[in-house]
Amino acid sequence: MRNRVVATGAATLVMALGLSACGGGDEGGGEGKSKTIKVVAADYGDKASNASKIFWEKVAKDFEAANSGYKVDLQIINWNDIDKSVKNMIQTDNYPDVLQTGGYADKVADDLLYKVDDVLSPATKANIVPAFAKAGEAKGAAYGIPWVSSSRVLFYNKKVFSAAGVAKPPTTWAEVADAAKKISEKKAADTPYALPLGPEEAQGETLMWEMGNGGGYTDAAGKYTLNSAPNVETFKWLQDNLVKPGLTYPNPASTDRKTAFADFAAGKVGMMNGHPSVVKMAEDGKVEYGVAKIPGRTGPLESTLGVADWTMAFKDGKADKDAVKKFLDFTYTKKNLVAFAEMYNFMPVTTDAVAEMEANPKHASLKPFFEALPTAKFYPVNDTAWDVISAEIKKSGGKAASKDEDPKAVLDDLQKKAEDAAAAE
Amino acid sequence: MSLKAPPSPAETGGGRGGRAPRPVSRRSGLARLGPLPWIAPVILLILFVVVWPVVELIRTSFLRVSSSGKVRGSAGTDKYTKLFGETDLASVLMWTVIWTVVVVVCTMLISLALAQLFNQRFPGRTVTRWALIAPWAASVLMTAIGFKWMLNQTAGVLNTLMLDLGLIDKSEDWLGRSETAWPWMMAVAVFVSLPFTTYTLLAGLQTIPGEVYEASRIDGAGTWQTYRHITLPMLRPAFLIGLVINLINVFNSFPIIYAMTKGGPGNDTSTSMVFMYTLKETDIGESAAMSVVNFVLVVVLVLIFLKVSRWNEED
Repeated sequence: MRNRVVATGAATLVMALGLSACGGGDEGGGEGKSKTIKVVAADYGDKASNASKIFWEKVAKDFEAANSGYKVDLQIINWNDIDKSVKNMIQTDNYPDVLQTGGYADKVADDLLYKVDDVLSPATKANIVPAFAKAGEAKGAAYGIPWVSSSRVLFYNKKVFSAAGVAKPPTTWAEVADAAKKISEKKAADTPYALPLGPEEAQGETLMWEMGNGGGYTDAAGKYTLNSAPNVETFKWLQDNLVKPGLTYPNPASTDRKTAFADFAAGKVGMMNGHPSVVKMAEDGKVEYGVAKIPGRTGPLESTLGVADWTMAFKDGKADKDAVKKFLDFTYTKKNLVAFAEMYNFMPVTTDAVAEMEANPKHASLKPFFEALPTAKFYPVNDTAWDVISAEIKKSGGKAASKDEDPKAVLDDLQKKAEDAAAAE
Repeated sequence: MSLKAPPSPAETGGGRGGRAPRPVSRRSGLARLGPLPWIAPVILLILFVVVWPVVELIRTSFLRVSSSGKVRGSAGTDKYTKLFGETDLASVLMWTVIWTVVVVVCTMLISLALAQLFNQRFPGRTVTRWALIAPWAASVLMTAIGFKWMLNQTAGVLNTLMLDLGLIDKSEDWLGRSETAWPWMMAVAVFVSLPFTTYTLLAGLQTIPGEVYEASRIDGAGTWQTYRHITLPMLRPAFLIGLVINLINVFNSFPIIYAMTKGGPGNDTSTSMVFMYTLKETDIGESAAMSVVNFVLVVVLVLIFLKVSRWNEED
């Protein structure tokens, strides 16, 4: 009896020790590993039928067929979790070889990435639209490879506008307020102007309005100016003219963009700023929509907000550099990029893919977005502190438009955080 | 509830020593280790799952970790300075106290009444007792998400109902601003805390012997007098256990707030626990510093718990 107890105790002990030993386990890089490329990418889909996994699995299969001996290890992660997951991978020294996500510059700060020249052939690199290639430069060299892009325009519901007696889309802020008032008086839509300043995309809506008043996130030298006078004025105007009179959501700071898009597709919104995926949503919802340039304080924005997502290659991944280069060159072909852009109604970032999509009558609805793209302005994506600052704006920037907040106090607090983050780099 | 440990096997073995002859060498070898071979696995487990994470947590709060997840060296006490300089920290801590006190007080009061009710004999008691378990059996996260959708501005059942009844003339965004979000989240927290507390108190009520009530009746005590001078004092042990466990649970409560408002807008509906989690998005080190502060607060609560349970025992 006693023997058995001792044996059980010892066995448990061994198990416990064995368990803790597992924690440090790491697969060594064998000979065969160097030809396996670990690809981590974001999922742009909102249902099973348009999951990004479908696209990447096809690319991986084609690549493996064309290059015998090479393997692709795919991991597609949804947008909400991808940054957290990648952070974990980096912390545990389990780097991806290729990563496709929303930003790249914070990884440059830690010297984690290959330069673009190291992992793209000259021909592929030359094919990238110059404005995007430029946005991929941080700390004096190109590290970020653009993946897809989009630009923002004003969407309006034609039925709502005619019911409210608004003849043409607004071009100035005063006209926005006027149209919203008419829509509200005629009860033509639940939400005359949809202002989503919730955590999902507050940094986008904020910038579109601030640019309309000559403001923005940085000055010409790249210094953060989140609390500049034009920015404070912008939020003051939003409070007084849209939020307080009840012409938009009652609590913009807690309303996410997906709510606004869904409401627009359900015909409940008079107008809002949106990107190309709204085209598809509106068509599916049988909403008769029109698009126009985003209104500014005195006239429409000459350059709208452009957004790009990025691909990058990690130096400390397990695959060898030539394998990564082979894979990226293979992925960045016209066929693949057009296929991905078509899947989500986004715009490609290489010259030949853009030309093909612009020429295709099937994509006529994307025309206004393509037109806006060459002059589009971007977030300061190549600043190594931007990712942190963007997260801060998402978290609390929207409060600047809340009824009972002082816009200046909110923006001052953000500016302080931005300066701290920039100083920490 | 007694926290006394059962007598250890070594002690009993020693007391009865010599009853059966045993090989001397083995006995002295194992005896010298005492109870260690039996409790060693547990100690190792505690070291692995409790002590190690705490050490890592404290270590992280003194590190500079970049937003991409790379450790850039020591930060000294910078992260604590940054944390205590946060504009929202004071209001977050204040709301943590309000949240804990309001939820625990409401839970205890309602549970007292419910326990009293369930202690009576009435038709359907078994069914209602079972029904009370439901909010406990369902995952807290699921309950919170359920309430979130019921309170939704466009699709929520509450707005539809209130509009149809003419109570409001425009659908309300209940969770969009802190003034309305706090009361709703507190109500959900009370709702999920009720079953445990009620059952604890009910168990306490059932330990009060019937003779005591009989004696008081013979002495001519009224209902209220009986309740104040007999039920409440004799319920004290169960009441205190329920109180302290609820304090710790509610203070640490995360899923309700995170599922319903994510602590927003800004940090307007964050408790210190939710605040710690949202800090993770911008600065892991600062978030770890917040965790250390939370940890200290929980340790204080636990010390109070130990004190209270010892006090219970002495009585």
